[in-house]
Amino acid sequence: MENAIKVTELRKVFDHHVAIEDISFSVKPGEIFGLLGPSGSGKTTTIKILTGELGQTAGDVNVLDISAPLFRTADFKSKIGILSDNSTLYERLTVYDNLKLFCKLYDAPLEQIDVMLDQVNLKEARSKVVSKLSKGMKQRVLLAKALIHKPDLVFLDEPTSALDPGNMAHIHRGLQKLNDAGTTIFITTHDMEEATELCDRVAFLDNGKIQELGSPAELRYKYSTHAFHIETFENERLVMANEAGSADKIRDLIANGKLKSIQSDHPTLGQVFLKITGKELA
Amino acid sequence: MNTQRIGAIFEKDLKDFMKNMMLLTMPIIPIILALIYSRLGGDEGLPISMLYLIVGVTFSSVTSSCMMTMMAEENEKKTLRGLMLSPASFMDIIVGKSLVVGLMTFIALAISLLLVGMKPFLNVQAIIGLILLFLFFLFLGIGIGLFTKSVASTSAYLMPVMFLFGFTPMIDFLGLGEDSIAITVAELFPLMQLIIMHETNSWVPIGIVAIWTIAAAAFTYICFKKERTDD
Repeated sequence: MENAIKVTELRKVFDHHVAIEDISFSVKPGEIFGLLGPSGSGKTTTIKILTGELGQTAGDVNVLDISAPLFRTADFKSKIGILSDNSTLYERLTVYDNLKLFCKLYDAPLEQIDVMLDQVNLKEARSKVVSKLSKGMKQRVLLAKALIHKPDLVFLDEPTSALDPGNMAHIHRGLQKLNDAGTTIFITTHDMEEATELCDRVAFLDNGKIQELGSPAELRYKYSTHAFHIETFENERLVMANEAGSADKIRDLIANGKLKSIQSDHPTLGQVFLKITGKELA
Repeated sequence: MNTQRIGAIFEKDLKDFMKNMMLLTMPIIPIILALIYSRLGGDEGLPISMLYLIVGVTFSSVTSSCMMTMMAEENEKKTLRGLMLSPASFMDIIVGKSLVVGLMTFIALAISLLLVGMKPFLNVQAIIGLILLFLFFLFLGIGIGLFTKSVASTSAYLMPVMFLFGFTPMIDFLGLGEDSIAITVAELFPLMQLIIMHETNSWVPIGIVAIWTIAAAAFTYICFKKERTDD
């Protein structure tokens, strides 16, 4: 399989509103791909089209070598995992009963329940009724539900939005482990640090169009001024362009023992997004 | 259809049913009604229209109402979308839920009929009629449950269902003339057709009830197609 996801000239129109405007991208098997953009940019619509919840107006969508008209088959559904803004749990049932239901629906062994609860750091909540859980705990159960059948491809729509930093780090480690085992991950997030840490490549989506696509490192380099920020022991702050003339000055500072710190100018992904779209990702 | 998935949905819905007080009280309604009516019959037992009134109350307050509430709750809390995104098919979901509702309906109907008299229903024609009637109320419950967006709004739909289809024999007590258009129309309703079936031994009423059931199934299918995607 050359691509886990291949989207060509995808377009989605709701009544007269163009939500997605002729976007094209592909995701390689085993990749963590991030779709980043502000609210209303078209991220959730894209995920819904890729998972068969929505039909496209135009364009071709191919996921795991299956084309869009077949996204409603049991074969396709058993290969993907979804955590979306619409994902919910049965509030009167326990965590275990919720996961047991999905284990059986996906024909996964029941032993997976404890494996997943361990992965999302919720082993102690196994017998708790879902309605008694905090928002963050529910989010972790939903993540366990999405991953319980070891899917080939996982769609995660804002997976860590309700989590505290400790649990977020735990989930990130779990996702990395999952990805190391070969699972392709398609993630949408507002959190630029999360995208930088997790994603192999990201696409910036704004007004239904992909504005930029590449690895976080590539994009940060591309939108860098390439200048050096220098601080001396005399508390002098200098900005030097990345050119031959700067090399002599830096060498002199080092030779004279004046150089306290030197940093290349690499913007964060959030700053890159701001540069491209003029919008901040909150 | 997949028996493991049907079993999983049945197990989940049965557990959920047992923890939902609103649903648990539904099967008690026809039993209480049967208990009251059982004291009115005397030696000859209750007239067939009264027996079918209890059947109608059972199917509307247990079959339709429970199914409607279960589906509306899944719709309201968006858990139905989760089931639809899993490998479970629409039929797996419906059959799994229907088994729970069917079990509760069977228990409520069996106890109610034991109280008021089961004898008139112990023949093939009556049993086929009851099965068709059960399916009619079941499809009505599923369709309305999919159609409504919240549990609270189901009561607005349940009342017409109960009065039109569950309490149809009560029209005789309204004092309308036999030529009344309301009586003529009501006689075409499923419950009245089954009463006519008992009086005439004809199979035509079974055919008419079957048409009602097919129409209710079509209504359910249309509601499902609308719910399946966000398009």
